[in-house]
Amino acid sequence: MLKITYSGCTMKRNTFYLLIGIVALVEVGIFWLSVRLEAPLLIQIAFILGVILLYLARRGVEETIEDERTVMITQKAALRTLEVSWVIFFVLSLGSAVIAFSRPLGLRPPRPGPQEMFPTEALELPVFGGFAIIQMTLLCLMIFLYVGFRVYYARKYGEWDTDEEQD
Amino acid sequence: MENGIPMKNRIKVYRAMHDLTQEALANAVGVTRQTILAIEKGKYDPSLELAFKIARYFGASIEEVFLYDEPTEDL
Repeated sequence: MLKITYSGCTMKRNTFYLLIGIVALVEVGIFWLSVRLEAPLLIQIAFILGVILLYLARRGVEETIEDERTVMITQKAALRTLEVSWVIFFVLSLGSAVIAFSRPLGLRPPRPGPQEMFPTEALELPVFGGFAIIQMTLLCLMIFLYVGFRVYYARKYGEWDTDEEQD
Repeated sequence: MENGIPMKNRIKVYRAMHDLTQEALANAVGVTRQTILAIEKGKYDPSLELAFKIARYFGASIEEVFLYDEPTEDL
């Protein structure tokens, strides 16, 4: 049976954190390039490759960067984020549903037909750009919430505590 | 302290007895130094597995290293 094992290079913990910063900067650059070239696929592929690179690099860190306490902090922060996020998402969805049901229900005609029959704005394609921005805003809100909860629980469980052995 | 359960420990005493740093103990039991510090300060109660690892590393029983203060009921 074929057994795949990871035999990549090893690195120090601080080198890994530095790599995260470099990857983030490169991603920002590629995002800008992607906008300039009008090529969304570029940033999408670059983001996935960046995540894979960091995942592989994380496995190569020599020192312990994750243990049961850090996993517990992550779990608690993720759970609280989910609890708040679903309420926000549900409220927004309720608002959208009210707007949708406030209008006459039914499908749009498959063909435009004669120009005078339908207003031109009713036949426009959905505004994907606006939807993407709303989606990105909600995602950013989730990230901010997660970071906030993570800082709270990290502080609660002694992440930044110091003592006489501190360097 | 987690969930309000009064758990105390004598890790600092055992470390001093074995002339061991937090970093060395953390490496020995496979956790970060901050986790050992958090346990010593009573901010985090370790799992049973980690508690056993720490106790066995010092050659002591789990009750010698970790102390559970039974909450007394006021009558």
